[in-house]
Amino acid sequence: MSVRIAVTGLGCVSALGQSVPTNWARLKEGETGIRRLSQPHPDQPRLIREGPAAVIDRVDTSAADAYAGRKVTAQLDPVAVYAVVATHEALTDAGLIDDPVTLAGANIVYGGASGGNATMEDGYVRILLKGQASVHPLTIPKTMSSAAVSQLSMIFGVKGIAFAISSACSSSAHAISEAAYMIRAGRAKVAIAGGTDSSLHYGSWYSWLALQAMATDTCRPFSIDRKGMVLGEGAATVVLEDMDHAKARGATIYAELIGAGGSSDAGHLTAPSAEGAGAAVRAAYAEAGIPTDTPVIVSAHGTGTPLNDKTETEVMRSVLTGGLDRHRVIATKSAHGHLLGAGGAIEFLLGVLALRDGVAPPILGYLGPDPECDLPLSLGETRPFEAEALVSNSFAFGGLNSVLIAKRG
Amino acid sequence: MSVSPDSVLDIIAEESLVERSALTPDATLESLGIQSLDIISIVFALEDKFGIVLEQSEFEGVTTVQQLVDIIVVKANAAAEAGPAGAEPAAKA
Repeated sequence: MSVRIAVTGLGCVSALGQSVPTNWARLKEGETGIRRLSQPHPDQPRLIREGPAAVIDRVDTSAADAYAGRKVTAQLDPVAVYAVVATHEALTDAGLIDDPVTLAGANIVYGGASGGNATMEDGYVRILLKGQASVHPLTIPKTMSSAAVSQLSMIFGVKGIAFAISSACSSSAHAISEAAYMIRAGRAKVAIAGGTDSSLHYGSWYSWLALQAMATDTCRPFSIDRKGMVLGEGAATVVLEDMDHAKARGATIYAELIGAGGSSDAGHLTAPSAEGAGAAVRAAYAEAGIPTDTPVIVSAHGTGTPLNDKTETEVMRSVLTGGLDRHRVIATKSAHGHLLGAGGAIEFLLGVLALRDGVAPPILGYLGPDPECDLPLSLGETRPFEAEALVSNSFAFGGLNSVLIAKRG
Repeated sequence: MSVSPDSVLDIIAEESLVERSALTPDATLESLGIQSLDIISIVFALEDKFGIVLEQSEFEGVTTVQQLVDIIVVKANAAAEAGPAGAEPAAKA
């Protein structure tokens, strides 16, 4: 592949906190953003969000406000607020926030499993609960799947191709891979990629409950007695750049994205498939051009559901060679929860930092080994681990798989 | 619940992101940067806070803070006396 892809900017917000340094520091300290919710609905006390969740209590929009104007940011649904805050950080980090010419020529590919759920819920409360025959005139533009990417384009003055990708929990991993292909195809020198989700509202909460995929205690990836996933929220943005362009302007290069592999199970709506997921991992290795015994840090999909972790173990054990101990598996959902449409991006981002710093942060909530999850897990505390590459897995509902591989920049 | 001019001004300040002290009676909405979408947000906030229903079309032609407050106070108190929101059937969709 002639055009190489540099990762030159990172930004995120999650229940762990706001900003990449905060998320990374808390992850390394073994801290979690997951806590127990017990919130009755203000109008319907019988409805209650009760159970573990990774909630963002507060977002500091002051930097985005100063950039875009408070009147712009104040009218956004949380799904767009998270995206704007993360992207402002990533562009600042990349040294592009004050470069309108480069931004105008950039592309954006941004993932989301859904749109503005808070606005949608407000509208339904007015119509169906209160009998008010009107909703806010911005309900459609705030709830559409492309709500966040539209705001990113307008706020940051990005005039190239911009669109949203929706593939459930693989959305932002797919966004990163497709953004990279845009650069490789010569359609842009810079592409902003990532994802956002805000699904901790009552409608989403009850929908996830109905799926019976949520843990009642906490998220325990690859552990014995794991019970399920924990919903989170937030956004993560990475700035991808033509390597020559990045070097020419003296950008900081966190990593090089060397491979992206995708596949679809064409199988079950919610149950994972080792065959399908394995095909995505193998495709990523093939594109990256690295042997499977290369020491890697795996940023696992690791949802903490009984079936996902078992299947992911089967996949990684079939792919990784050279002895499992030369590799290390991290599962950061145990700290920031499941960010759905932002999950792939935040897990790639945190994996890039682990690769850069030569450390493996711990998987939280671990109770003991499960024979069906026999992987070289990072447990206990953050320890040094010198990997040569990062493998970041996303295996979504619908059997939509996306795997990213990066090496040190 | 009766709606006072002060409580309306609080909501106008909050929803339109204008300093409360800048909301003088003669100040024009245009000079304060209060646009039609802000007025809709103000109306929605009043509806949620006081459990009333206001017609957005009533606010066409309003140019100053005083006019906005007056019309809201009159309409809101009339609506509050007429009964709580929800008494009207929802739109049939």
